[in-house]
Amino acid sequence: MSTTTTSTKSARTSTKWDVEYQTIRRQKLFSNTPRDHTAFPLLHAAVKPHVDSFNALFDQGLIDEALKDIGTHSVTDGDARERNARTPRNTLDLRVKEVLLDKSYLPSTNKDSLAREIFPAECRERGVTYRGKLRARLQYRVNANDWKEVVREIGSLPIMLRSNRCHLEALPPADMVRRKEESEELGGYFIVNGNEKLIRMLITPKRNYPMATLRPSFEKRGATYSKFGIIIRSVRPDQSSVTNTLHYITDGNVSFRFSWRKSEYLLPVVMLLKALVETNDHEIAQGIIGASNSSHPPSSFVSDRVELLLRTYKAYGLKTKKQTLEYLGAKFRPVLLTPVTLSDEETGAELLRRVILPHLGNINVSAAQNNDKFQLILFSIRKLYALAAGDCAPDNPDAVSNQEVLLGPFLYGMILKESIHNWLLSIGYQAREWIRTRSPPSFTDTKFEGEFLPKIVRKTNENIAQRLEYFLSTGNLVSETGLDQSQTSGYTVMAEKINFYRFISHFRCIHRGSFFAQLKTTTVRKLLPESWGFLCPVHTPDGSPCGLLNHLSHQCVVQTHNVDASGVEAALSRLGMTKRSARSVEDGLSIQLDGRVLGHMSVKRAREAAQLLRHWKVRDEKRIPKELEIGFVPTSNGGLYPGLYMFSGPARMIRPVKYIPADKVDFVGPFEQQYMTIACTETDIIPNLTTHIEYKPTNILSILANMTPFSDFNQSPRNMYQCQMSKQAMGTPSSNMMMRADNKAYLLQTGQTPVVRPPLYNEYGLDNFPNGMNAVVAVISYTGYDMDDAMIINKSSHERGFGDGVIYKTKFYDLAEKTGTGGRASRSKTEIKSMFGFADTDTNVPSDVLFHIEEDGLPKIGARVQEGSIIAAYHTVMFDPSTNSLRNLDGQTHYLKYKDSEPGYIDQIRLLGSETGDTPLQCISIKYRIPRRPIIGDKFSSRHGQKGVCSMLWPSESMPFSESGIQPDVIINPHAFPSRMTIGMFIESLAGKAGALHGLAQDSTPFSFDETHTAGDFFGDQLLQAGYNFYGNEPMYSGITGREFAADIYLGVVYYQRLRHMVSDKFQVRTTGPVNAVTGQPIKGRSKGGGVRVGEMERDSLIAHGCAYLLQDRLMDCSDKQRAWVCRDCGSFLSVQMVPNPYNALTGRRTVSVAGAGGSVPPSGIVRCRTCAREAGWEDSKLRVWADGEGKEFVGGENTTVVNVPGVLRYLDVELAAMGVRTTFTVD
Amino acid sequence: MSQREAYQFPSSSGGAGTGYAGYDTATGPKVTYICGECSAKVPLEKEDKVRCPSCGHRVLYKERTKR
Ligand SMILES: [Zn+2]
Repeated sequence: MSTTTTSTKSARTSTKWDVEYQTIRRQKLFSNTPRDHTAFPLLHAAVKPHVDSFNALFDQGLIDEALKDIGTHSVTDGDARERNARTPRNTLDLRVKEVLLDKSYLPSTNKDSLAREIFPAECRERGVTYRGKLRARLQYRVNANDWKEVVREIGSLPIMLRSNRCHLEALPPADMVRRKEESEELGGYFIVNGNEKLIRMLITPKRNYPMATLRPSFEKRGATYSKFGIIIRSVRPDQSSVTNTLHYITDGNVSFRFSWRKSEYLLPVVMLLKALVETNDHEIAQGIIGASNSSHPPSSFVSDRVELLLRTYKAYGLKTKKQTLEYLGAKFRPVLLTPVTLSDEETGAELLRRVILPHLGNINVSAAQNNDKFQLILFSIRKLYALAAGDCAPDNPDAVSNQEVLLGPFLYGMILKESIHNWLLSIGYQAREWIRTRSPPSFTDTKFEGEFLPKIVRKTNENIAQRLEYFLSTGNLVSETGLDQSQTSGYTVMAEKINFYRFISHFRCIHRGSFFAQLKTTTVRKLLPESWGFLCPVHTPDGSPCGLLNHLSHQCVVQTHNVDASGVEAALSRLGMTKRSARSVEDGLSIQLDGRVLGHMSVKRAREAAQLLRHWKVRDEKRIPKELEIGFVPTSNGGLYPGLYMFSGPARMIRPVKYIPADKVDFVGPFEQQYMTIACTETDIIPNLTTHIEYKPTNILSILANMTPFSDFNQSPRNMYQCQMSKQAMGTPSSNMMMRADNKAYLLQTGQTPVVRPPLYNEYGLDNFPNGMNAVVAVISYTGYDMDDAMIINKSSHERGFGDGVIYKTKFYDLAEKTGTGGRASRSKTEIKSMFGFADTDTNVPSDVLFHIEEDGLPKIGARVQEGSIIAAYHTVMFDPSTNSLRNLDGQTHYLKYKDSEPGYIDQIRLLGSETGDTPLQCISIKYRIPRRPIIGDKFSSRHGQKGVCSMLWPSESMPFSESGIQPDVIINPHAFPSRMTIGMFIESLAGKAGALHGLAQDSTPFSFDETHTAGDFFGDQLLQAGYNFYGNEPMYSGITGREFAADIYLGVVYYQRLRHMVSDKFQVRTTGPVNAVTGQPIKGRSKGGGVRVGEMERDSLIAHGCAYLLQDRLMDCSDKQRAWVCRDCGSFLSVQMVPNPYNALTGRRTVSVAGAGGSVPPSGIVRCRTCAREAGWEDSKLRVWADGEGKEFVGGENTTVVNVPGVLRYLDVELAAMGVRTTFTVD
Repeated sequence: MSQREAYQFPSSSGGAGTGYAGYDTATGPKVTYICGECSAKVPLEKEDKVRCPSCGHRVLYKERTKR
């Protein structure tokens, strides 16, 4: 038991935790919240990728990089159709120099508030977005004069909580509580319209690495295309990316593909090489084949193809770099939309800057940077030929080693970048529109300066931040360029707080991309060994997202910032790296850092260099950063393409392991990990081979998977189920429930700390959010109510509060919404149409309303409400300018009603003002509390994927009891175990029992027991010492007869979760109710009072059982049964008609012509078939003659009758008749 | 459950079944609320702006009835 915290104020809050309960320490943390820092740093580390990457937008200058990449947008005046560059023109240059994001503050129009900050809690309560003002420093100039500058407000940008633009950024827990937050508020999400939203992490291809790809779809691109390709996802410093692809053409040629604004373009690769640097064919050939001085003979496969490559390019007749650039510029000018004043050569260079391997230079590209691009393309061609020749294997795009993380905030920054770019374009467009009205149309117009702001900039849509708010609230990516992403929706998710496990999992969740969800193959879902330590093998849902929606292992971190890796090149140079490549890969292994070819080395030297680099890296020497990934791919027989690939950039997954020689931490990435020897435990170490060892074997598991006790004893799918179910448990979502206004929140009233838990439970501070209860569980078949995973709960336990929970529902009532004056925006007094409260002159307010509603028109706190209860009164008002007040004219009070079917209690009422603080009451939110004690049909589960439904609340006196008088809280059926093999649950039961008897917290970390030192012995001994049976069995007595059972019963303590699936939300029953207007059949949907469908399979089984009357009841009587007249002779529903009553009901006289008289005619009750009748003649007996509505007389058609038919049958009949199809029914 | 059903809402007017003629129209009733920020009692009239007069906070809670 640790007693590291002392009550003295000076002591720093300890962050060391063990497995013990630490009740006093936790109590102190609650009553005396730390003022220095959190006690649970691990919890905060879990959301770090989100927060840090948001911080990087402004701290690391990602936005500045983006602005530089956008560059200057130039527009020219004069005739747009005139293509001659020499025509004199004036140029307007536009650029955004800086973007500033403020914290969230009140608008200046609000003069009343002293505290100007808007804190997140207020946004949650008021249902608004937590955002700060975004400003842009817009600069413009005409004809290269001095830049002029204006600062424009470009909307309010949603801010990530606890980021560097959030008021909560560095607040210690004590201040967090003061700001109405959770003491351990994590941040990492946004608040949009009161909802907590986060951008989920996505898997993307590894950046700046030429990936050898086999893709059959490449063959569909054209006649000569092969399936071979090299794909490079090149990432600019602002984290936006472009994908460049090299295609292998079957004749040996290589074409280069890129996309620009969603259109694809292809170039001969040699053209690109010649455009990048001043080069010649010899240099290109040597770059691909290898330097000619090496002893190795050139491979004929490669040299033949290089020859072809260069020979076919001759057709273009472009020799110099300038010629090539001009050619490219002329072709791509309409695509890039460069101004007329820019020369073809410059336009060509602009193309290279923007889309060709921009990670090697995208701003003021130097000759050296272009050479880097040149070298990387040469390397890619060489790798492509190796792939085509079968010398190397393709890189697996589904393995984590070739993947990285797309961090949400980086995407957020990309959208902001594109929006700003579009804004510049639209200013340019408006500027051209403006000069059209001038004569002469010129930017040098004297009025231009004065009208630039009001007439040009203001005409553009300046609310740029709104696009990002839209993105967050819908998750849809609306983009002209597509941002190099493969999906357009599903980027954001609601950070649901069903319980804390669910909440924290959202931040560790990583999705493969919705594109892969539609894929029919299962290869992308496979669990590959490359994922070891990075993605949790257990924590993925079963069903459709299985394997696509993964969770990070709890020790895996995502790098979010750039590190200084400048020492790498210098160190390698000293180790004998040369710039020249060699013919054989063994002699000239390519050495790359972040996708830049540094040089070449022989394999032997490179291997040594990699080891040395690692040595320096771990020891923090020679400016080699700890985060550097050193992926040494050795030469092999058809394995991955060899090389020494190093990565230092952000968005990589890395994880700490111990470097054995130095006994220091080393951060390992997934690419290098596949070539490393990392021992899992001490016994795995192979001398002279193993370099690293895991700190803990459990590091591969996610936070939730780590919480499953003794998960190594369970069959693995059960652990997956548990990860799913712990996220559905009713628990403690947060400790500031009264400050939150969730639409729906579940709360377990009687949460406990589990007796059996790993030490990580404390390190993650999960005692702040209990998720279940310790229950005494007997495994026995006792009552007969325990079939099929049913469980019996002791009625007395239930009465003591076992599983007691409540649901909080918050509903917003906005009067402005009702009267249609728009959302919750601020409104002036004159626009207000209705107000809460009773109308002044209303004299008939029912007394029962007064009982519920107080004089302000709002209910009392604590009032019980049920369906139809009145919960607020309001009345319409008009603004009276004479008295400057709002007056009610009609004297009528209207009421708002409680619509849910389940009774609840009014827990809180909030009166919501506006940001400007100047509007009368228009909007309230009411929080209802709905008690949910466990009832029969509610779902429970242990932590081993053993879910069950409560089938009975068994009276305490009839429960079995043990010799020490213990009664179980829960009884489960022994049949739950043999097929599921959840041995972990037995161990937990043993450990829990021993822990409860001795007052111990039991460590349940997986992989801590083995064959010689078994869990059964360990906990069995503890039980023996407490005077119990070693095996956990006990003699028990029947609660009904009092006699001892023939068998001993397995009795222990197991932690049970109450799941949120409750019958009260599920039960559905109806006899009659709402029906579909067309068919007359019952509608579906529980919420609408619909029915449960008796489908075809149900119908079949009812037929098989011979339940004819039941079928008739379901499909006819309770559905769309109709009585319909039909003609027996012609078998038609449509030809029968009701004969109108020929006698006037009032006068008793016969009416001559019914239609002429007008009005409705009462039916006579006589039905005749019109088609079977003939017109009456003079010879017909008056008794047989009948008249239709027009007074025409007929004889016959009397053979009609009433039948019961389904309503849809008649509908079908009518529809068929409309199509000219006649149906005939035979009536028996 | 029996306990809950037996709960009676406390009522000041006793038998208020004789109809109702609205609250005092001239000044309006003053119902007090609690400021969400400084916990001050905020008396709010019908047309008053929704904000705390002492700190300017914009969320007010309705007070629990003590009658
Ligand atoms: Zn206040």
